[in-house]
Amino acid sequence: MMNHTEEKDYILSVLAQNHAGVLLRIAGLFSRRCYNIKSIVAAQTEDENRSRILIVVQGDDRIVRQVDKQLSKLIEIEQVTVLNENKAVVREHLLIKLERSDATSDQLVAIANVFHANILNVSVTDMIVELTGTPSRLDSFVECCKPYHIIKILRTGTMAMEL
Amino acid sequence: MKLTGAQIIMECLLEQRVDTVFGYPGGAVLNIYDALYEYSDRINHICTAHEQAAAHAADGYARSSGKTGVCIATSGPGATNLVTGIATAYMDSIPMVAITGNVNLNLLGLDSFQEVDITGVTMPITKHNFIVKKIEYLADTIRQAFRIAQEGRKGPVLIDVPKDITGQVYEFTPAGKAPDAAQQEAMHLPVSKKPAEVKAAKIERALELIERSERPFVYTGGGLLAAEASQELKTLAETIDAPVACSLMCQGGFDQADDRYMGMLGMHGTKTSAQALKHCDLFLAVGTRFSDRVICNADLFARHCPIIQIDIDPAEFNKNIDVTLKLSGDAKQILSLLNGKLKPREHREWMAQIREWKREYPLRQEAIDPNGVTPQMLFDALNDLTKGEAIIATEVGQHQMWAAQFYQFRHPRQFISSGGLGTMGFGLGAAMGAQVANPDKKVINIAGDGSFHMNCSELSTLAKYQIPVVELVVDNSVLGMVRQWQKLFYDNRFSQTTQDKKTDYVKLAQAFGVKAFEISTKEELLPVLKEALSLQEPVLAVCHIDRDFNVLPMVPAGASAEEPILNMD
Repeated sequence: MMNHTEEKDYILSVLAQNHAGVLLRIAGLFSRRCYNIKSIVAAQTEDENRSRILIVVQGDDRIVRQVDKQLSKLIEIEQVTVLNENKAVVREHLLIKLERSDATSDQLVAIANVFHANILNVSVTDMIVELTGTPSRLDSFVECCKPYHIIKILRTGTMAMEL
Repeated sequence: MKLTGAQIIMECLLEQRVDTVFGYPGGAVLNIYDALYEYSDRINHICTAHEQAAAHAADGYARSSGKTGVCIATSGPGATNLVTGIATAYMDSIPMVAITGNVNLNLLGLDSFQEVDITGVTMPITKHNFIVKKIEYLADTIRQAFRIAQEGRKGPVLIDVPKDITGQVYEFTPAGKAPDAAQQEAMHLPVSKKPAEVKAAKIERALELIERSERPFVYTGGGLLAAEASQELKTLAETIDAPVACSLMCQGGFDQADDRYMGMLGMHGTKTSAQALKHCDLFLAVGTRFSDRVICNADLFARHCPIIQIDIDPAEFNKNIDVTLKLSGDAKQILSLLNGKLKPREHREWMAQIREWKREYPLRQEAIDPNGVTPQMLFDALNDLTKGEAIIATEVGQHQMWAAQFYQFRHPRQFISSGGLGTMGFGLGAAMGAQVANPDKKVINIAGDGSFHMNCSELSTLAKYQIPVVELVVDNSVLGMVRQWQKLFYDNRFSQTTQDKKTDYVKLAQAFGVKAFEISTKEELLPVLKEALSLQEPVLAVCHIDRDFNVLPMVPAGASAEEPILNMD
């Protein structure tokens, strides 16, 4: 019998050689082994030969250990770290376009202010707001915007850095 | 020394002590084949009838010798024809390097003639793959490919080389002046992933568990062969006085004439192994990935006792079943460490019980037609005629299981079979590779009539190169294994499994230039087989058997590996 713990989100920080195709290898691995990616962020690091990839995986403890070990086998991956959220700064960036009218404008601005979100653009019919924060904070903000018409949402996916 | 890319490939193959490659020419590998022409005194090339067989031959070469097998194919369809062969090697962790040509660099990505993204296609079925876009990376990429294929858990690596790279001229630096880490990085070459050493505390814990056990069960898989650890296994089994079962992939890893050998474990394992599994108090698994064909119902496998797993790939721990103690590392090294510290034990009662089960539940096949050959008779005859010393390759299906059950394998690398992927059409190509790697051994490919029809054109390759493989077709005119499942689970509705092909095997073989023999009765069996095996040239022998032999014991889907059924009547 396999011992399954409850499902939750895990953040994996992956250091890889900065080659064409690394992201494809990672995505392919997740797809064929039926692991769930919630988000993935990849970019070159301080060393131009390496890239760092932050992956949020949904699963139980056993799955995440499998993901860790399978990723570690990819030839171009140098290090995989499962981050402890209590010992890391976790951030995500959100852009949201909201429908506005004179009737809703004040309320939307008030919500943005409460969350310390930045209003980047305002037109007669809509406004674009940006917010950086923890994924759950972004979720709350989106929830508060829902009563107003959300035209479009862009989220970067989770980034995290160990303390 | 200024060489073309194609010549650099040849030099790098020679550096890796490659003496034989299997392949098929084509447009994108014209330069490579031109170099093969030039190097033909040092590199032997076997041209198969189909690229798939070239991949299987490289695989069979590797399985039977331990060396890395090499195959070459052109771009597009040549490359995709290798895919089944590469996937077969990947599933069984066989070291292989596949070299494919591709279109010129400036034609890549333009849907050019015979262009396919083979690195994309083979990503999930290779340990790693490369496309070489600069001539200066070529030599070191090949060296890295060979290293990766053999390092840690072995597997296939593909190198895709655009045609103009093989034509460009570049300064070749022989190995020995290998690039340092910084140079490697500059060339985007991967760094080594050597497996970690096993921790001393883990060895202590394993010793504790083994010493506490009164009824140990030693079970080994293909990883034991990859680690060349047969001698260490024998010492361990004798020291702790334990019985041994082997997976399909480990046939010959333990001498099957040894009193301790119980047979296979799992879907078509012996009743003895199943009984021992039920009653053991320690399960020691070496180099095995607990395939679903072995553990059957994962929730019911060895729940009552601790499991120690030794494996070179940490990702195999707790993948299919949870284990008590994980020993990560090279099996040979870990078994040696254990052997060095274990005190000799005696488990008289347990071993007596094992022998009792072996007497009570032998593998036995009743004749259906009193004059007909049973598969068991066939393999007994083969065993007698070859004294258990032949290399036996197989295709996939009932004949494969019978070969594993009834032939007595005594040495590692004697059984060449597609275990993980279960590739029909594997055997003939693989046997060809095994024969080329072992010119002094008798190599026999056991084929079902279904598998035979998938790759029989390779008889032409045997004939052309006079590779003295014995192709032994066990003909029951049905797809027996699928038919067996249809009997068990589909109420005898034999959908598409009754083949009844009109093929005249003898005429077909003769048309390819291969001598052929036919066996229909048990009187014919021994004399005809003896004659077929005595020839030093490619031979086909077809042995007709009844269509209703089953592979037994069998653990039906969903049942416990402890409870195989022994008959289907």
